[in-house]
Amino acid sequence: MDLVINNISYKSRLIIGSGKYKDFKETQSALLASGAQMITVAIKRTNIGQSKNQDNLLDYIDPSLYKILPNTAGCYSAEDAIRVSLLAKELLNDNLIKLEVLTDPETLLPNEKETVIAAKKLVKLGFSIMVYTTDNISLAKELEDIGCIAIMPLASPIGTGQGIVNTKNLKKIIHNSNVPIIVDAGIGTASDATIAMELGCDGVLLNSAIAMSNDPVLMAEAMKYAVISGRQAYKAKRMSMRSIASPSSNKKDVLS
Amino acid sequence: MNIILNGEKISVLLDINLKDLLGLKNIKEKNIVIEVNKEIISKNLWSNRNLEENDEIEIVTAVGGG
Repeated sequence: MDLVINNISYKSRLIIGSGKYKDFKETQSALLASGAQMITVAIKRTNIGQSKNQDNLLDYIDPSLYKILPNTAGCYSAEDAIRVSLLAKELLNDNLIKLEVLTDPETLLPNEKETVIAAKKLVKLGFSIMVYTTDNISLAKELEDIGCIAIMPLASPIGTGQGIVNTKNLKKIIHNSNVPIIVDAGIGTASDATIAMELGCDGVLLNSAIAMSNDPVLMAEAMKYAVISGRQAYKAKRMSMRSIASPSSNKKDVLS
Repeated sequence: MNIILNGEKISVLLDINLKDLLGLKNIKEKNIVIEVNKEIISKNLWSNRNLEENDEIEIVTAVGGG
């Protein structure tokens, strides 16, 4: 079964970000290698004073092949996030937004209060909101009840690559929810993504893990397999962990 | 007259509209959104929207982000 977001079906459960790459060509190559079908972009001021022939990121992402998911990066208040969402909708002609409202530039942690305010208002305005949040279990449920179409709890703070710091909370959030849970932020390497999927996440969003690795295109490919294998392992339902050893071959007929 | 463009004070001639401004500043019309005094001006209205003194204009686009 595919991942369904905003009435569109995606075979890939990996979403990647477009930030921190060396250049647009690398972004494009990493996107291709990752197998992702959705990529996030930020909405920021255009560069005044560059030549008219300057490239734009959107020239490197084919909208017929990839869903472009605008985020509200750089927003520290609900008001800013709402303003950016309206700009994103005008730019991309779509109502899908990844909502992120942060507390401060140092931790980049979600501002829970402002996130709730923004989510309520944006849902009311008809936006389809995928919401970046903490691993606060009751907050995740509240955001779902508000009408967000996907909940995106962090694994660890943005750009830290620490992997999932609180698997217990993430498990509970997944168990409680009726909408896709997509881990977003803090994934550092392939095994982090696999663990997220084995816990039962519906998808993973990552950016730094690829862009900040030594070989982004290779890491993008690793992430593709990591997410696939984690999902398959989850569906296969793993063996129980045991404290007592149990041999793989028959105890009988051993030579003596 | 003075306007503020992407946070910077600049001086422009009178009788200039948004489309003219883009041409003046060498900005491609594709893949951008324009906001004047916090109001989004849709593309089909750019040539009708004349600039006024102290207008605060934001021209935004999609950039790399996670």
